[in-house]
Amino acid sequence: MSSVFVTQAVVDAGPVSMGEQVAFYVLGTGSLIGALGMLFARNAVHSALWLVLTMLNLGVLYMVGQAPFLGFVQIIVYTGAIMMLFLFVLMMVGRESSDSVVEVLRGQRLAAGVIGLGFAGLLVAALVRSLTQVKPIGLAQPNAQGGGNVANVGKLIFTDYLFAFELTSALLITAAIGAMVLAFNEKRRRPAYAKSLQQELVEARFQGNRPSPLPGPGVFATANSVATPALLPDGSVAPESLSEVIESTARERLDPDLLPEPDAHALTAPEQREGES
Amino acid sequence: MKTADLLADDPIWLIIIKVVGIFVYLVVFTLFMIWLERRVVGRMQHRPGPNRVGPFGLLQSLADGLKLAFKEDIRPVLADKWVFFLAPVVSAVPALLAFSVIPLGGEVTMFGERTALQLADLPVGLLVVLACSSLGVYGIVLAGWASGSPYPLLGALRSAAQVISYEIAMGLSIVAVVMYSGSMSTSDIVLAQKDNWFFYLLPLSFLIYLVSMVGETNRAPFDLAEAESELVGGFHTEYSSLKFALFFLAEYINMVTVSGLATTMFFGGWYAPWRFLPFGLGEVWAGADTGWWPLLWFTLKTLGFLFLFIWLRGTLPRFRYDQFMKLGWKVLVPVSLVWILGVTAVRVMQREELSTTFKLVAVLIGVTVIVLISFLIPDRPERDTTIVRTAGSDYPLPPPDLRVPAAPKRRLAAAATAKLPSATKEDGDV
Amino acid sequence: MISFLAQPGGLDALQAPEIDYWAMAPLLIVLGAACVGVLVEAFLAKPQRWPVQVILTVLTFAFAGLTLGLRLTKDPKGLTTVAGALSIDRPALFLWGTLLALGFGAMLMIADRSVEPGGSFVASAAIRPGTIQDRAQAGQHGMQTEVFPLALFALAGMMTFVAANDLLTMFIALEVMSLPLYLMCGLARRRRLISQEAALKYFLLGAFASAFFLYGLALLYGYAQSVKLADIAEATGGTDRSDTLLYAGFGLLLVGLLFKASVGPFHTWTPDVYQGAPTPVTAFMGACTKVAAFGAILRVLQVAFKASSWEWEYVLWAVAIVSMAIGAILGITQTDVKRMIAYSSIAHAGFLLLGSIALNHDGLSSTLFYLLTYGFTTLAAFGVVSLVRNADGEATHLSQWAGLAKRSPLVAAVFSFLLLALAGIPLTSGFIGKFVVFRAALAEGMGPLVVVALIASAVAAFFYLRVIVLMYFSEPAADGPAVSVPGAFTTAAITLGVVVTLLLGVLPGFALDWAGAAGFVF
Repeated sequence: MSSVFVTQAVVDAGPVSMGEQVAFYVLGTGSLIGALGMLFARNAVHSALWLVLTMLNLGVLYMVGQAPFLGFVQIIVYTGAIMMLFLFVLMMVGRESSDSVVEVLRGQRLAAGVIGLGFAGLLVAALVRSLTQVKPIGLAQPNAQGGGNVANVGKLIFTDYLFAFELTSALLITAAIGAMVLAFNEKRRRPAYAKSLQQELVEARFQGNRPSPLPGPGVFATANSVATPALLPDGSVAPESLSEVIESTARERLDPDLLPEPDAHALTAPEQREGES
Repeated sequence: MKTADLLADDPIWLIIIKVVGIFVYLVVFTLFMIWLERRVVGRMQHRPGPNRVGPFGLLQSLADGLKLAFKEDIRPVLADKWVFFLAPVVSAVPALLAFSVIPLGGEVTMFGERTALQLADLPVGLLVVLACSSLGVYGIVLAGWASGSPYPLLGALRSAAQVISYEIAMGLSIVAVVMYSGSMSTSDIVLAQKDNWFFYLLPLSFLIYLVSMVGETNRAPFDLAEAESELVGGFHTEYSSLKFALFFLAEYINMVTVSGLATTMFFGGWYAPWRFLPFGLGEVWAGADTGWWPLLWFTLKTLGFLFLFIWLRGTLPRFRYDQFMKLGWKVLVPVSLVWILGVTAVRVMQREELSTTFKLVAVLIGVTVIVLISFLIPDRPERDTTIVRTAGSDYPLPPPDLRVPAAPKRRLAAAATAKLPSATKEDGDV
Repeated sequence: MISFLAQPGGLDALQAPEIDYWAMAPLLIVLGAACVGVLVEAFLAKPQRWPVQVILTVLTFAFAGLTLGLRLTKDPKGLTTVAGALSIDRPALFLWGTLLALGFGAMLMIADRSVEPGGSFVASAAIRPGTIQDRAQAGQHGMQTEVFPLALFALAGMMTFVAANDLLTMFIALEVMSLPLYLMCGLARRRRLISQEAALKYFLLGAFASAFFLYGLALLYGYAQSVKLADIAEATGGTDRSDTLLYAGFGLLLVGLLFKASVGPFHTWTPDVYQGAPTPVTAFMGACTKVAAFGAILRVLQVAFKASSWEWEYVLWAVAIVSMAIGAILGITQTDVKRMIAYSSIAHAGFLLLGSIALNHDGLSSTLFYLLTYGFTTLAAFGVVSLVRNADGEATHLSQWAGLAKRSPLVAAVFSFLLLALAGIPLTSGFIGKFVVFRAALAEGMGPLVVVALIASAVAAFFYLRVIVLMYFSEPAADGPAVSVPGAFTTAAITLGVVVTLLLGVLPGFALDWAGAAGFVF
């Protein structure tokens, strides 16, 4: 569908053709709906999806504006990579996480709304006024010269904007280091499997203290949290059943002073026990 | 005449015919591919595969497809209604869209109209395919998220990370091709391979593309997003009926697309399969590259790549996730970058009028650097096989040099079968 | 096959732009050293990194300074290079020199490991604050040595920012200087949560400001059909274009720039970030970012928008007044030393804006001089702040500074001197700086603004003097903080700041000459 638009746009010689106008109104409306949807969606993933819609529309808008390279790069980079990472993070955080709607500063939402709308109104009014004075030029002529759109973009990057382009690498390196600094934990023990062969793993396990897997947590015995420790037959806690990763593991349960005396009733639910006594 | 100009004056009815034609081509390819996969994998596993419905079981996938459509459509209670519905559509549409820029053949005459066997020829054709594949992932990721259950979510997370990683490698493998053909338009890339195919001019790019195309399409051995032994069905665990069929369709169409792109970029597209041969052998049949013949050549080459997919699935075990990521980021991406640098250097040396001494010195420096770097790579510590390993605990340890004893003669079996005269001859072989 | 390889690919060969590597050498050296620093992080073992990074940093500044010095002796006027993207003229060289000197001081503080055992940066930032692992790492003496390349990247960004001759380069430079700063703000060893909060606030607001800058850039491109400052200047001369695009674009562009300079109503991030960030990073931000941002503001105003100045002049008047008022009045209410200096920096930004609006040669040279003096004073002030500590780290609450002179007369004296310099008392560099800026503003007919500035200075002087009174005439608290004996690095940084502050207060002539050597080249 998009390709038809593009072909159309390239063929039309005039600055703004009828087809282009129709495309603009369709895509513009689409991107506006996407932007508003992003603002008002309660669910974070829905918000992200609305934003994807906006970006797609913008991408196609660029193609209609005779910049096919920019349009497709917009789709690949923004929708394909950046929004995908957004979604990745949102899904990691969990599907129940939606925005807190509590106002921390009273009246802030109202003020932000009024000022935001005012700013948008001002900008739109200014742009509308200025656009009547601006003559559209279009990219048809530069696209016809040299090696076409892609080659011309490349040429500009490596001549006029060479320094800006090279400087971007500093930005990318910084971003990469930043990610490493904030996320990479050297102190964490490397998992044994990361480097070893299957045979070495087997041998290591048999030479260690425990060839069998660690006991699972006490899920479903008294609670359905993995932080619940498994209980040994005498009712005491099996420390190996607790995950090292979950730090919030009920520490008080392991505290010897607070531990229940071993008794057979430990496995039943607390309220039941109280009822009996 | 350039393909873009040929396509520019296509009347609207011709475009519709082409759209329908491509759709049919892809769906038929999908049905055929499912059948082929089951037959070939069956043959690899010494079993016949589907052979009852139609000649050679050819209609099996059609029957399965019909059955799938009539199955009950289930939506889990916890699912996100709209996104759950949207996901299969998002997955299938870009898959179909991507094929519009693949050149299936050269100039032909359809109903008196001169045109090319290609729906659209953009100056950024390759990017269209990349963009579509990056959009297709949304289907998978959203499906996993919207299902509202843990296994699909894990599949979706894997898929998101996987596609982002392998798209980089794929994009980098394309760079060298673009550099050699001087264009991003798919038809120009095919035309640039009139005499020389890129798979031997750019072997490393080809290999990297080959690996990343399997990674991009979530196929074995990289099918971690739907690894049935770990995640039940991965992202499509909760899907059924037509929605599931759409995912299935999208996966197979994606395979056809990436195979078609591999053909276009590295195997001379629609040129006759012997076109790259030297000593004039490529021109033995001048008519092979005209008319409708190219469609056949393209289809055959694409089928070759599709067979590769099946072969891989029948042969290789699934990767572990960390190995998979390691391959993508630590092998494919750096190797591509170095390779692009090398290709660029070669291109520059061809272009500029440089003296032979300069070229030789440059090559020498390059080789020296590579050798020096190779010294920096640490050797893998060799395993000492002479040490006898013992258990560190009280648990019994099987002997480390365990050798499976030879199977004893099956006396009892032999005695039992001795009564049957026909079996006695084979007795000695057991 | 051979015939194909020789095929040129159908495109014309590119004409590469001319690059004057020697003129760019200081910038390239800093950028290159940052990249080498990254490689050091990648390939060296943890214990070796700190010494190697320190040596690398010192060498970087030595070589960059050397090439800069050679440049100063050679070229009288300046030039543009890399297809006009960079303008290496006298103001740019002056700002480069200032940035390198201030950056060196800040890097010394960053490298210091004696005041806080192990340095003021966290050993491993990936560990969540408050967890068991975090308590375990508090005793460790390592630090994230990635800070060194990050700081060098930030410095390179700043150097590009002040020399950028087109808006696109300026925008990317803005990001190159901001991104490492966002990161470094969140790496404090003590009080990690407040540090991370500061980093997040800075990042979000900074990204917002960048968006404003970019939007303004887009509108200005629509106006002038070019992002080059010279072309915009040329376009403002003509009359047949849409003025709405110009003013909307200019306004948005300016918001982004003023945010980075923490001027006036765009200052809201400043107190929180100054307070939360590790003190060496605060010193780096307070000194260098201010220099870079005002360097860019000067260039944008003087090169691109000089012709249209009568339209926007009064808007910036208002911004300057708001900035001075906010800085001076809110500064009085602060009880935290770092926040107090942050508000002082907002007031100073107002004074600097005064000089920037004065679109004449004196305005340029006086603002450049003011930046030099302000940078060194701030650097030394934060150096002193990092010395006053108790068991929880730095003791920044004002009540803890009571009676400091009785315990540590030297530190109290140095800090008093620096506060006097910030207040603009004669015999300090601050006085000369204010004097030349106000004189330039008066010459441009900005009398009312100068009156406001004088009132703001007087109000601001009150809270500086309050700290001095507190240090000298109050009884020290029983469990008050101790003053650490600084190691060589921090001592050197503070000494550098104090000496320059004094020197420029007594003998400002040479620096004023240098600042006023020549104007912008574009």
